[in-house]
Amino acid sequence: MPLLSVQDLEVKFFTRRATVHAVRGTSFDLETGETLGIVGESGCGKSVSALAMLGILPKTGRVTGGRVLFGDQDLVGMSDAKLRKIRGKDIAMIFQDPMTSLNPVLKIGRQMTEVLTKHLPMDKQQATAEAIALLDRVGIPNAADRLGDYPHQFSGGMRQRVMIAMAIACRPKILIADEPTTALDVTIQAQILDLMKKLVVEEGMGLILITHDLGVVAGVCERTNVMYAGRFIETGPTRKLFERPRHPYTLGLLRSVPRLDAQRKEKLDPIGGSPPELTKLTEGCSFAPRCVYATEESRARTPELRPIEGNDHLVACWNPVPDADLPHAPTDRPAAQ
Amino acid sequence: MSITEAEAAQLSFERPSGLWADAWDRFKRNPAALVGIVLIVVFILAAIFAAQIAPFEPNEQAGPLATNPAGPGGEHLLGLDMQGRDVFTRILFGARLSLLVGLVSVSVGLALGLVLGSLAGYLGGRVDFAIMRVMDLMLSVPGLLLAIALVTVMGRGLISIMLAVGIVQVPTFARLLRGSILGQREADYVLAARSVGVPGRRVLLGHILPNSIAPVIVQATLAMATAIIEVAALSFVGLGPNDPRLPEWGKMLAENANRLQQSVHLVLFPGLAIVFSTLGINLIGDGLREAIDPKLKT
Repeated sequence: MPLLSVQDLEVKFFTRRATVHAVRGTSFDLETGETLGIVGESGCGKSVSALAMLGILPKTGRVTGGRVLFGDQDLVGMSDAKLRKIRGKDIAMIFQDPMTSLNPVLKIGRQMTEVLTKHLPMDKQQATAEAIALLDRVGIPNAADRLGDYPHQFSGGMRQRVMIAMAIACRPKILIADEPTTALDVTIQAQILDLMKKLVVEEGMGLILITHDLGVVAGVCERTNVMYAGRFIETGPTRKLFERPRHPYTLGLLRSVPRLDAQRKEKLDPIGGSPPELTKLTEGCSFAPRCVYATEESRARTPELRPIEGNDHLVACWNPVPDADLPHAPTDRPAAQ
Repeated sequence: MSITEAEAAQLSFERPSGLWADAWDRFKRNPAALVGIVLIVVFILAAIFAAQIAPFEPNEQAGPLATNPAGPGGEHLLGLDMQGRDVFTRILFGARLSLLVGLVSVSVGLALGLVLGSLAGYLGGRVDFAIMRVMDLMLSVPGLLLAIALVTVMGRGLISIMLAVGIVQVPTFARLLRGSILGQREADYVLAARSVGVPGRRVLLGHILPNSIAPVIVQATLAMATAIIEVAALSFVGLGPNDPRLPEWGKMLAENANRLQQSVHLVLFPGLAIVFSTLGINLIGDGLREAIDPKLKT
C-alpha cells in the first residue's frame, strides 16, 4: 500500500465573480522514501493541491471531489481536530518564502518548541534541547544561542533551514516542499536542496517537491508529474521524462530552459500563448490552443493519462510528440541522479 | 581574550534584540515623546504621592469661606476655593482620580474592543458583519453624547462614568484590531502555523494577535487622553461623580466656571492640569506610533 494515495482530487474556489476549477482530478501515489516532483507554471494548481491535501485551503477554496488516502484514513472530509494531529506530525510542509513564513514577532525557539510540544510528549526543556539538535542538524551554527533570535536576525537561506528544521521536527513520514528554493539565490538553492535530499534519505521520508524549476526536479526527484491547468498531463520517471518527453507541453517546458550543453547561438523556444483561464474550461485538451500537434480530436475530447512506452510513463495527449521532434534525444547527460 | 572572541562579544552586543527594543531606540530619539514622558511621569508621581506632597487634606478647610477666595501666593500655592480648600492639594488628588478613570475606562474599552475585533477579523463572514454594524451604529453617535446617554441609563457615579467612557471607545479598538488582523490573516506565517497543526485559537492568540496589536497599543495610549477629557466633560455638564467632595478636575472647572472673571485661578489651574496630562499622553502616543510603525522607519 502506498504511503499516500491521492485519487481524483478536485479543488474549486468559489468567489463572488466566478468559480475557479483549480485542480481537476489529479491522482498519484507516493511510496515511503520516494521523491516525487510536481512541475508546472504559476497558477496550474500545484500549490493548491498541496494545501488541499493538508486541509489548509483558503476560505474560498473547497475540495469538491476525490480522496487523499494516508494509510487507511481519508484526509478529505476529516475533522479539523483529527487533521491537526496529522499536520506537522506525519505530513509536514515547507513553504516558498522563508522571509514571510516565520512569525516575525516570535523568537524562533518558541516557534520550534510549539511544534514539538504540540505533537510529541515533550516538556519545554526537552523541546528546547530537541530544537537545538534540529537546528544543528540543518546546519545552523551556534544553534543554542540562536533560539532566542527573531526571524529578522536570520538570512533567507538560514530562515529556510529553520523552516526545514520545523518541518522535520516530528519525524514526518511525508514532506511537502512548495517551491522551497524559489525565493533563494542560486548558491543557497543548491545548499538547501542538498540538505533536503540528505534528510529525506536519512529519515526515509516521502518527498513531494512542488516547483516550476525543471533543474530542481532533475536534481532531486525520482518521478515527476507535469501539471497543466489543474491536471497532470504527463508523469513518469524523471530521467525518462526529460529524455523523451511525450507531451507537447513537457517538451515546450524543456525547450524554454537554457542548457549548459547547448550551442551558444541556440535560441530559447518559449511556448506561445498563455494558459487557459480556469474559470471557463471547456471539453477538450486544455493545451490544444497552444499546441502545434493539436487536431480536431484534441479540441473535442479531453485526453486521459494513458501509458506510453511501458507502464511507468503516462501521458494525456491524443498526439504524443513523435521521436523525430525530440530535440536533444538521446542525451548522454545525466538528467536525474 | 583573542580578537575573534572580542569581535564576537561586540557583535552579540550590537545585535538588535527585537521589535520592541528597536521601537524603544526610535522612541528615545524623539524629543516630543520625551517631553511627553516627563509630563506623564510628573502626573503619575503626583497621583501616587498626592498624600505626601499635598500641604493639606483635599477637603480640609484651610482658609476662610469666601465668594472671592484668595488667589495663588503664600501658604496656598495655587490659592483657595470658595469653600476655603487648597486648590493645589485638590489638583494633586485629582490626578489620582484622572489616572484611575483613564486606566479603568481604557481597560474596559480595550478588553471589549479586543474581543470583538478579534472575533470579527478572524472569523469574518456573518460574525464580522454583525459585530461591525453594531460598531458602526455606536460610532454614528458622537462619543460624548453616547457617554451621556449611558451615564443617564446607568446612573451617576464614578463606576458608571468609567464604564460609559470605556464603552464609547470600544468601536475604535474593535475596528482598528479587525483591520490589523485582516491584514495578517492570510500571511504566510499563519499558513505555516496551520500546516504544523496549530489549532485555530492558538493561531489567533499566539500568532496573529501579537502581529496585529501594535496599532492598538498606540490607540490605547491616545485613548487615555480622550478618556480623561471625556470624564472631565461629563463632570462639567453635571454628570460627574455625585459626591461633592471628590476633587475631579472637570468638576472643579464646572463648579467655578461662573467665577471665571473674579477668580481665574479656580478655573485656570484645573484646566491646565487637564491640558498638560492629556498633552503628555498624546505626545507619548504619537511617539509610540512613529516608533512602532514600520512604514515610518528611517
